[in-house]
Amino acid sequence: MPEGKSDVLQGTLDLMVLKTIESMGPLHGYGIARRIEQVSANTLTLNQGTIYPALLRLQQRGWIKAEWRTSETGRRAKYYSLTRIGGKQMQAETENWERIAATMARILAPSR
Amino acid sequence: MGWIRVLLSRCTGLIGRRKKNEELDEELRSHIEMAMEEQQRHGLSREEARARALREFGGITQWKEVYREQRGLPFLETMIQDARYTVRRLRQAPGFTITAVATLALGIGATTAIFTLVQQVMLKSLPVAQPGELWRFGNEIHCCEWGGYTQDPEFSIFSWQIYRYFREHTPAFAELAAFQAGTPDFGVRRAGSTHPAEAHVGQFVSGNFFETFGVAPWIGRLLGDSDDRTGATPVAVMSYRVWKQKYGSDPSVVGASFQIDGQAVTVVGVAAPGFYGAMQSSWANPDFWMPLSDEPLLMGSSSMLHQTNENWLDIIGRVRAGTDPETLKAQLKVELRQWQLGHLAQMTPQERQFLPKEQFYLTPGGSGIAQLQSDYKDDLRLLMIVAGCVLLIACANLANLLLARGLRDQPQIAVRAALGASRSRLIRKSLMESLILGLLGGAAGIGIAYAGASLILHLAFAGPDSWVPISAAPSWTVLIFALALSLMTGVLFGIAPAWMASHAQPIDAMRGANRSTQGDHSWTRKVLVVVQTAVSLVLLSTAGLLDLSLRNLESQNFGFQAEGRYIGYIDPSMAGYKPADLERFYQQLLLRLRSIPGVRAVSAALDAPMGGNNWTGSVRIEGQPTQHAGEELYPFWNRITPGFFASIGNRIVIGRPFTDEDTASSRRIAIVNEAFAQAFFKGKNPLGQHFGRGDDPAHAGDYEIVGVSANARLGTWDPTGPIRPAYYLPESQFVSFGGPQADVDENRSHNLLNVILWAPGNPPGLEAQVRRALDRIDPNLPLNGFSSYQEVFDQQFDQQHLIAELVSLFGFLALLLAAVGLYGVTTYSVAQCTNEVGIRMALGANRRSVVAMVLRSAFLQVGTGLLIGIPAAIFAGRFMAAELFGTTSYNPVVLGTVAAVMLAAAFVAAAIPARRAASVDPMRSLRAE
Repeated sequence: MPEGKSDVLQGTLDLMVLKTIESMGPLHGYGIARRIEQVSANTLTLNQGTIYPALLRLQQRGWIKAEWRTSETGRRAKYYSLTRIGGKQMQAETENWERIAATMARILAPSR
Repeated sequence: MGWIRVLLSRCTGLIGRRKKNEELDEELRSHIEMAMEEQQRHGLSREEARARALREFGGITQWKEVYREQRGLPFLETMIQDARYTVRRLRQAPGFTITAVATLALGIGATTAIFTLVQQVMLKSLPVAQPGELWRFGNEIHCCEWGGYTQDPEFSIFSWQIYRYFREHTPAFAELAAFQAGTPDFGVRRAGSTHPAEAHVGQFVSGNFFETFGVAPWIGRLLGDSDDRTGATPVAVMSYRVWKQKYGSDPSVVGASFQIDGQAVTVVGVAAPGFYGAMQSSWANPDFWMPLSDEPLLMGSSSMLHQTNENWLDIIGRVRAGTDPETLKAQLKVELRQWQLGHLAQMTPQERQFLPKEQFYLTPGGSGIAQLQSDYKDDLRLLMIVAGCVLLIACANLANLLLARGLRDQPQIAVRAALGASRSRLIRKSLMESLILGLLGGAAGIGIAYAGASLILHLAFAGPDSWVPISAAPSWTVLIFALALSLMTGVLFGIAPAWMASHAQPIDAMRGANRSTQGDHSWTRKVLVVVQTAVSLVLLSTAGLLDLSLRNLESQNFGFQAEGRYIGYIDPSMAGYKPADLERFYQQLLLRLRSIPGVRAVSAALDAPMGGNNWTGSVRIEGQPTQHAGEELYPFWNRITPGFFASIGNRIVIGRPFTDEDTASSRRIAIVNEAFAQAFFKGKNPLGQHFGRGDDPAHAGDYEIVGVSANARLGTWDPTGPIRPAYYLPESQFVSFGGPQADVDENRSHNLLNVILWAPGNPPGLEAQVRRALDRIDPNLPLNGFSSYQEVFDQQFDQQHLIAELVSLFGFLALLLAAVGLYGVTTYSVAQCTNEVGIRMALGANRRSVVAMVLRSAFLQVGTGLLIGIPAAIFAGRFMAAELFGTTSYNPVVLGTVAAVMLAAAFVAAAIPARRAASVDPMRSLRAE
């Protein structure tokens, strides 16, 4: 595995997907995958296929919904958008993540 | 609650899987194409772009698999798959499937049938509101009357006075009801009807009886406290059953006047359907309920309502919410004691002495007075164990069948394991088969259970008057029981084959031949046969013991001649006869009966021997001290007309029987039986001795003994016990105990309830002639019943017959199943060692030695089974010792017969495959190798 690339931490993918949909608006699976890769500036190794079980998981929880639309290139694709519960959950999950990240940062901070 | 949403969406994920798969395919296709477009924009060729897109996606098929598993419920899906596969396989082997399902259906059906009865008899509440709030005073069931101020060992039947005392002093009860413990017959006629009076079961109850049980009227109204008051108009409530069956659901019954024992009583309503009273019994479900205050009117001089020491009522109360039963019991006990202390002066010395030892219990009353429970408890337990054993044998058979099948399938399972099937999946598949067989067997078993329970009920309660609140239709509890049983048996007999499947070695698939499997599991199968043999032996020997005991019971010396004897049941008090008129009435009746052609002798008796009723009471022997508390004898006593001993064929040993010269004005006399003479006079000549009824020394000289009769069995409730002391008094004589209250028993005992006829040679139309004779004397007096002594005995031992027959039936079922099991094992092992037999025969073994080899193996298993089964059967016999009559728990004849039967069955089961083995053609078996 090349230096500087990380595996996606268990459970964080869902949050990334949620955030991507929130900021980009309705988007198809490929778009979400590409967007995550771009934002992470290619530091994440992401099998694009991983996206789909994550999307299914979020749908089953009722956080996102899907509908078939035609893309700007004229191709039929399934577009995912945030539901109302999803929006609320998004906030909760973000706060949760920040708490964990802050904790991790404190723990990992070089001791003086 | 997020997980519920997820579960729901996963469940919906199971529906329309094909469409969803197509949708997923399309989504992923569009993903790849979009990725390819992007790569192509970056200048890659179409082929390169495609390769790159696929690489970045990372294994489309895997992701699809992950997706699909997450979408639905993979566990359920594979289960459905397995189930489908199993059903397909079972359909391919109809012979196996039918055998397995039939075996299981028999086992589950037998067990469920008995459970249906257990549930109906033992576990059922009365059909009333909130049965859990009902509590009953006392534990033992005492029918129907009990004199005195104390009861040994527990106070469980009550007088009206005690009931009122409890009702006034116990605020913890929202309602406290009392009702008659006995349910006597009444002569009932609708006013103005031309039909003769009919006998109906009636019961006196307190005014709040229906309110306590929370029962609603069907039409009209039920009783209230205002009906249960001195001077209130006599009223009655009819049961729905009688209203429907006898009165054709005629609404004009409400408000109509009826003649009940000759008194005008208004029927005010019909109780709700399904309410059969506060008792669960096979013979005492009331057709009429009347308030307690009507009792003196209807019973006349025999009334017990105002007798402080006549206990004849059961009490059940509905407690207020939050009442602690323990505290309540303690309080009631104190109340009872206070009441008793208030009557200390009237108590006998024995009663005063016993008082501190007396017990009192408060028991759950939701089942009412559960007479059926106490009658059938032991028998049902025995039947449940026996049925369980049959089921166990059925399970062993199935385990054997499945093992054999599993052995045959082993190469196939090995191939599957080699191809990557997981162990858990293989076990699941194997268990699925046994579970599905279990469920199929259970479904068929419910049908068998319904038929079986109906048949048993029909056999147990066949009499025309016998109506029981029991239905054979499976309730929810029964269905759940059957389902649980099916699953349990499915797992039980499925474990061995599943264990075998889980040990399938992929390498076996490569080896090809299945020779290595032989021997590995044959011991399991043989052990199963041994167990089956042992259990069947126990069941058959139990059946044998019960049968022997019953035959001993029926052929015992009853002390009287039953041949050609008949009992007619009458009750002159129904037609309003007073004690003083009765002697003349019986003289007229007996005269008419004696003139019926074919009748050789007749008499009347308070209780005919084994007629179902007996009076008991203490006696005081002149010149002997009062009996010690705790050791008193309560002889049976009976009142009879002259000719009784001749008509029933009971011998007078010394002295003389009663004659027509023994009249009201002559010396008062009695006849005692041998047991009485032995108990009170210990070998001295009893003739000329005096004794009296009750404990009062002032009455000890009342009766002079003029004769001793041979011991005869009079009571029905303990047909195996020793003959009790008994004495007989003449119908013509009265003793006054001072005042109408004290003379209640004396007066009632003159109302003789049975006529006995000796008419040898089955004279035709006897019953009709007796009925006509009765009708000539008094059209208001019905014949309540008529039966030959043969019928009396049949009825007496009905229950034992039924139980013995059922246990025998189950025993033979077990034998059959065990034989089938042995046959299966032997056949299978013969098939397995065809090669070996072929080689042996090629080397010169003759047919006889081959047959001997197969038989030896079979008999080794059966022999081991018998060796284990015989001590087990003796042990089982010890458990039943109390119920056996005239035989001990160990009976060599029974055991020997049963063992011989089993060996014969084993011989048949093993001989068939042995013959087949012997007919093996050595060349063919060698070529097959």
